[in-house]
Amino acid sequence: MEEALLRVEELTKYFPVKRGFLGEIAHVHAVDGVSLHVTKGETLAVVGESGSGKTTLGLMVLRLVKPTSGKIYFNGTETAGMSERHFKKLRRRMGIVFQDPSASLNPRMTIKQTLTRPLVLHGIKNESEIDTRITDILEKVGLGKEHSDRYPHEISGGQQQRVAAARAIILNPELVILDEPTSSLDVSVQAQILNLLFRLQSEFNLTYLLISHDIVMVRHVSDRIAVMYLGKVVEVADTDELFSNTVHPYTAALLSAVPIPRPKSEGAKRVIVGGEPPSPINPPKGCRFHPRCTYAVEKCRIEEPRLSLMGNGHLAACHRAEEIDVSSYAKELWRIIEEKGSHESRRELIERAEGKV
Amino acid sequence: MATPILSVEGLRTYFYLSGGVVKAVDGVSFTVNEDEVFCLVGETGCGKSVTSLSIMRLIDHPGIIEEGRVLYKGKDLLKLPESEMRKIRGREIAMVFQNPMRSLNPVFTIGDQIAEAPMTHFDVPSRDAWKTAIEFIAKVKMPDPEVRAKSYPHVLSGGMRQRSMIAMMISCEPSLLIADEPTTAVDVTIQAQLMDLLLEIKKRRKMSMMLITHNFGLVAETGDRAAVMYCGKVVEIGSVADIFREPLHPYTQGLMNCLPIGTQRKKELEVIPGTLASPVNPPEGCRFAPRCGFAMGECKLHEPPLTAGGKDRFVACHLYRS
Amino acid sequence: MLALKSFKETLLRLLQHRTSFAGLLIVLTIVVLAIGASVIAPRGYAETDPVNRLLPPSGQYFFGTDVLGRDLFSRIVYGARIALWVGLLVTFIEALMGVTLGIAAGYYSGIVDKAISAVTDMVWAFPPVVLALGVVTVIGPGLTQVVVAIAATSWPAFTRICRAKVQSLVNREFVLAARAIGETDSSIMARYLLPNLMPSILVVSTLVLPSAILYTTALSFLGFGAQPPTPDWGAILADGAAQLRIAPWIATFPGVFIVITALGFNLLGDGLRDILDPKLRI
Repeated sequence: MEEALLRVEELTKYFPVKRGFLGEIAHVHAVDGVSLHVTKGETLAVVGESGSGKTTLGLMVLRLVKPTSGKIYFNGTETAGMSERHFKKLRRRMGIVFQDPSASLNPRMTIKQTLTRPLVLHGIKNESEIDTRITDILEKVGLGKEHSDRYPHEISGGQQQRVAAARAIILNPELVILDEPTSSLDVSVQAQILNLLFRLQSEFNLTYLLISHDIVMVRHVSDRIAVMYLGKVVEVADTDELFSNTVHPYTAALLSAVPIPRPKSEGAKRVIVGGEPPSPINPPKGCRFHPRCTYAVEKCRIEEPRLSLMGNGHLAACHRAEEIDVSSYAKELWRIIEEKGSHESRRELIERAEGKV
Repeated sequence: MATPILSVEGLRTYFYLSGGVVKAVDGVSFTVNEDEVFCLVGETGCGKSVTSLSIMRLIDHPGIIEEGRVLYKGKDLLKLPESEMRKIRGREIAMVFQNPMRSLNPVFTIGDQIAEAPMTHFDVPSRDAWKTAIEFIAKVKMPDPEVRAKSYPHVLSGGMRQRSMIAMMISCEPSLLIADEPTTAVDVTIQAQLMDLLLEIKKRRKMSMMLITHNFGLVAETGDRAAVMYCGKVVEIGSVADIFREPLHPYTQGLMNCLPIGTQRKKELEVIPGTLASPVNPPEGCRFAPRCGFAMGECKLHEPPLTAGGKDRFVACHLYRS
Repeated sequence: MLALKSFKETLLRLLQHRTSFAGLLIVLTIVVLAIGASVIAPRGYAETDPVNRLLPPSGQYFFGTDVLGRDLFSRIVYGARIALWVGLLVTFIEALMGVTLGIAAGYYSGIVDKAISAVTDMVWAFPPVVLALGVVTVIGPGLTQVVVAIAATSWPAFTRICRAKVQSLVNREFVLAARAIGETDSSIMARYLLPNLMPSILVVSTLVLPSAILYTTALSFLGFGAQPPTPDWGAILADGAAQLRIAPWIATFPGVFIVITALGFNLLGDGLRDILDPKLRI
């Protein structure tokens, strides 16, 4: 069994919310008993829509949100019960990159100041060493010294995200949490940032916990995928296994819903899931997905399914996993996605260019 | 033979700012046919939203529509007096925006807002208009239409608000619906529902749709024809199938190559070098030339015009001019 | 987003706006008078000359003389120095108190927030002059005492704005990122929150300063503030009230100056607010 860099066990977060005019406290069940692990060097993607709890999960790992209950093990050490003083020493081994690069940088600090803070906070006070490390890291993320004295609003979104990445790795961490790192960016910039993330991962030996709703990007970048719905993990599998052998109806619906940049294909049956995601304050009894699930039976309304092993490291939480087959669309999708794009037009363009020249 | 319903010719919309003139739309031409879904695709700053606002004549100071024609059913919308244009907005051409919270009035119920259009355009008395509103709320598949009609926008979820917007927009049975990033603010499964709904409405009412987006997946799944924009100009037009299977313009090709699809997993993607040109000072000649791997001398001097590149295909690139 | 406006750009925008330009002119004039008082004023403010008392404005005495024969113009000019000095001091003390409390309330929420907000609301509810009068009757009259009294009553303006702004910033990603790298609470408040509050603090200051001047002159008018012969505008106004029938100029000039100064700062503050922080409304 390989070394798990990060392991969470029954991690739970309930946010209190006042309701009614008597002020009774209800709770948002943001994350409800999640257990996952990330092995050293891998990229685990946590996928889900808004309200699934994926972002809260990531924030709890970094102690930006305090768990209600549950355990977090970083390199074997339990951290949820640790004091802030102790945890601070661990912070240099974790980094985070947020979704909106313009919101994740202090508008009143220059790039240099932003990058200096983590160094100073973790004991590096020598000015020349700070300078060297900053210049070094800027180069690694594809920026130059001239960017040091700029403010965030003076550089582009893609460059801002590079700075955010630099800040996340400047102390040589082991784990980096990527919270929707490319969702705010244009297609061409997304590609550049994804490439950067690949390069950094291999150069710095990083382990990535990727939080996203972009299945197409996730497929390209991750080794394993965990699907969350309304605070619970409903399915976990290796990337190709998840696409070729989808078990959970929600996963099938999610994969179905993502528009794929390939011209319409016939044959694959799309699963359009009806209804709206229910309120996380009063999650449905039994299986949380049952009100929207076309396969729901009586048992699903009463009893909550547990994550069970389907074989091959593939886990799913569905009572009817053995009986139903929701994998056809995703299998077709996988085939379509894997198909190489047409290179005919590229060749033609090259010929034209050469002909003209 | 496809019949055009909207024809944009040589549209130029400039914004006069203190820092300079932003040529947001700089000579854009394309046609939207009846009963089709036409997509205007491009990245941030390419001018696609400004194009749609110009068509609806919703451009305000400091922007001015400098030049061009927008022919709708034969009439040039840019030359109509405002009173005539008002009759067209909402009734013939409707627009759905990205952020439904911004477009819905928070102090009126959904029912009131949907009823407003028939009352304004067709002089329908308010009681009948209310009944129509409930009908349309049902048509956009919201549960409990009578209850919903009495709700205020802030109690509804993002998906519901967008449906309300759609109901508002189709209540006058327009011939053309312009949707500007209609699903960017909602979740993927809700996005699928909304797009499904829009396509169904389009089919039932024989409505044309112009979809503005930067999401290529959406274009591939819902579009019939598309125009790709870069830096205020149209670089390629064609059927969606053609554009995806055989992108002609180097920029379109570059974009297709950027998408993490059909790629080997965990390998680096091909990127388009360089960055977007400044809209205040665009480069001489072809705007994409500085980033184009195939740029020739001519590209830096003369802007390539949109020329035919095959059946129903147009591309603005010197490589395709014979 | 939080666009940074450079000093130059702000100045340029101020000059373009007609009302803020007027405000800027007025403020600059008063500042010049205050700084250059010793040069501009033809005579000392305490120089009495009973022979020439109660003279109307003339070429020799621009604003006339008061009951003790003092040159009103010189007294007004020195008065500008007092008005500005007092205004700045009061505003500074209020800002110090108000901003600290506001940031703490916004950042910590819970009990800390409830306590600070309760106190803020209570103080805010009191008419400042009445409250200040109360304070001054306890600690005695005098310009310093008035400064303290007024400063203790109007700081809620800063607290409310800072608390609101901090609440909107505290869950932004750059604050989360700061916590992720291990910043302490006080470091976050000082390095990440405070600098982003500066434009609002500046705007509030320019709007609070004229009030400070108005309240202190009011207290001086009532006799609690500056003691003679200090040429506080409020004190001069009080002198002039007694002589209103015979020598109306003694009350008119300080009154006009008080109003114009307050107006100038208000116009400037409005303009600054429109440029730096349009959503701000106290």
